[in-house]
This record gives sequence, structure tokens and C-alpha cells, in this order.
Amino acid sequence: MPKEILIVDDDPDFVETIEIILQGNGYETRTARNGEEAFKKVKEKTPDIILLDIMMKTKTDGIWVSEKIRSEKDLKKIPIIMITAVNQDSEMAKFHLGQEKDMEYMPVNAFMEKPIEAKDLLKEIKKLIGGPK
Amino acid sequence: MRVKQNSFKLNPTMLAFFINLLNIKRSKNMEPEICNINDPECHLDRIRGWHGDLESNMTSLIETLKDIRKHSEEAKTACSKHYAKTVELTKAKTRFTYEVSHELKAPLASVYNIINVILDGYLEKDFEKQKELLNRAKVRINDVIKLLNDLLTFSRLEEGTKKLEMEEINIGEILSSLTEEMNVYAGESDIKINWNFSDNLPHIYGNSELLRRAFINIIHNAIKYSNPGCLVKVTGKKENHLFLLKVKDQGIGIKKGELPKIYNIFFRGENARPEHKKEGMGLGLSLVKRIIDAHGGSIRVKSKVHKGTTAEVSFPAIQKKEK
Repeated sequence: MPKEILIVDDDPDFVETIEIILQGNGYETRTARNGEEAFKKVKEKTPDIILLDIMMKTKTDGIWVSEKIRSEKDLKKIPIIMITAVNQDSEMAKFHLGQEKDMEYMPVNAFMEKPIEAKDLLKEIKKLIGGPK
Repeated sequence: MRVKQNSFKLNPTMLAFFINLLNIKRSKNMEPEICNINDPECHLDRIRGWHGDLESNMTSLIETLKDIRKHSEEAKTACSKHYAKTVELTKAKTRFTYEVSHELKAPLASVYNIINVILDGYLEKDFEKQKELLNRAKVRINDVIKLLNDLLTFSRLEEGTKKLEMEEINIGEILSSLTEEMNVYAGESDIKINWNFSDNLPHIYGNSELLRRAFINIIHNAIKYSNPGCLVKVTGKKENHLFLLKVKDQGIGIKKGELPKIYNIFFRGENARPEHKKEGMGLGLSLVKRIIDAHGGSIRVKSKVHKGTTAEVSFPAIQKKEK
């Protein structure tokens, strides 16, 4: 069975193009458009890895999802790649968290900044979970 | 600080020494006024005199110091208010830069992906999909252009109204020029617009391009946040010395707590989900508000969640001279 990647982003064009790239490289994909939906889908079926946009503008943002996943015993080991649109996102996340915590606090395995190069993304995924099979 | 007379009971030698000292000191700066060494009363009088001077000087010094303290406290308060304001403005500016960067970069990142997916041959034989994605890329680029134009207008308005070209405008002409476009847009979402303009619509003084944009934006919002099958009512009339435009929808509404924030740049209400987003939002109501302000008008928005929103805009009408 191919490994499954959950793509979480509120931008439908971004989600669809990433799906095309990942499916084209043999991975299976599922998608979610906000934090709440993402968490529900993770609970339904554990993905092998999550590509999580920081989605600062949504109520249940990427930070919320990552914290929620890391707090669940059965889910906390799922690798997460956090995707940000602006490199300042990480800075703004500090504002959002309301504390002077370093981004190392963020419970994710890697950060990537948009625009994403397909080869970089595939390399990062391979590093964390290996190839599609 | 009163000096008691009996506190100066010194032995004669010491007394003579002080008297000499005082005489010498005083004689340096002032008219010599030497008391007889055997006349302690004279000396005590002089000392009392100096003491009185000293006391009044001290009192005025204390008053001055009190004044200085009061002023410095006032200055400190003013300074910290100023500082807080500066910090607030700097934060707002950082936030603005962040939001703008985000709004520009997110669509560009998607366009970049679309181009890469096609160039890298992921959709080699699926020409239909390629075409669909390229069309979406076009829409996203248009969104970016729209946002950039809004930003330019925004900074033009921030600079002041002097740079705006204002003239006498027939408001009825502007409104009737946009009804068809709005009807088509509403029709796409199965929404009907009920237009109701009185015959005596006044002329107002303003910039027609900006006013048109503000009106379109308000009506767009009403359509965008309405559910299919709903009605949007647009009423225009003259009332006293004002032109009034009322746009009423039966849409998703805005939460009470969110109403004061609707004019903030890039603000989107919680119940305004991405699926309601039919096109790029530009600067939305924050730009509308600035356009209206620049025309000396006002905007008021009332709303109830799931019931709908009403936006009321008013502008000062040009008074016709009686012939």
C-alpha cells in the first residue's frame, strides 16, 4: 500500500497542485481545508505524514493542529512538515502564541516556505518517511 | 524652620568668632553692616533677617521644585502615551506588511505550483486539466493585480484627499452603470437584486472612479455572503441634504463582536469561510471606508448572524440653486 500524505491548506489551488505532484510520485493523498477538518481526518485514519500550512488566518490554524496532534498519545509520532507563505509566519506565530517561545517550540519536524519546489518537498518527505511504498 | 532665640547661647569667644565670620562674609557682597561685638541683639536681628530671606528663598525653591516635578510628571505621562502610540503604530505597520506579503505571496505560490506541474510534465496528456489550471492561474494573477491596485489607491487616500480629482457627479448615472454587471454577478450565485432608486437622486462632489469602486464593493459583499436563492435590496434616495444608499442582504451576517473590526485591512469574519470566497478580496471594506471618508460621507453597518447585513452609506449632496 502506498504511503498516505494529508495535505492541509486553505488555498484550494495549492492543495490540488501538491496532490498532483505527490500522486505523480506514487504517494496517496487526502486533503483538509482547515485545522478542525484536518484533525478529524487524522483521527479517522492516521496518515503517514502531514503537510500542514500554518493558516494563520483561520480559526483552527496549523499551530492548533500540530499541538493537538502532539498531545494525543496515538498520534504524536506522525511527522509534520509545516508550510508557511511568508517567512515572517514563524515570527507572527510567536505573536499568536502570545509568548516569547522560539519556533523550536513548534511541534513539527520541518519547515518549508512557499513557493515550494517539488524536488525539495519530495526530498523532505523521503527523509522523514521514505519512498511511497 | 524658625530659629529660637535661646538656641544661640554660645560662650563669648565662640560668639565673637561667628560674628566676625558673618561680618566678613556679608561685607564681601553687600553693604557692610557691622554690629558691635557686644550687641548680640543686633547680630541676632541680622541672623533672623537672613533666616527670613533663606526661608522665603527655600519656599520659592520648593515651589519651583514642585512645579518641575509636576511638569516632569506631565511630560512623563505624555511621553509614555506617545511611546505606546508609536509602539501600537509600529505593530500595526508590521502587521500590515505581513498581511500584504501574505496576500501577495499565497496566490503567487499557487500560480508557481500550477506552472511547475505543467512544465514538469505531471499533466502531459491531460490538456483539459492543464487548461483549467492555467485559467485558475489567470484568476489568481488578476487577484494580485486587483490587490496591488487597491493598495495604490489606499496609499493615495492615506496621503490625503488633495491628490484626488473631484468633480460634480451624477450619482444616478454611476449606479445605473453598474446594475447590469452586478445582476450578472448575482445571477451566477442564484441571487436576485432588487434595485430601487428614487427619481430625484442628487449630484455629489467626488471622484467617480473611486465611488463606483466603493459601491461595487458594498454590493459585491452583499452578494458574496448571501446564500443561493436570497434577495439583495439596493435602495438609493435623497434625504434632506444627503444622498443615502442602503444595501440589505439576507446572508450569513457578521458576529456582533466582529462588527468593529470590519474596516480593518484583510479582516474576514469567522463565518466568512473560504468557500464564500469567489474572488480575491482586495482591501474590501477598509478601502470602502477610506473612500467614503475622503468624500466626507459616512458608512454604518448593522448585522445579525444568519439574518443578514445592512450597509448604509451617506454622502453630502450638492444643493441645487433655486432659479
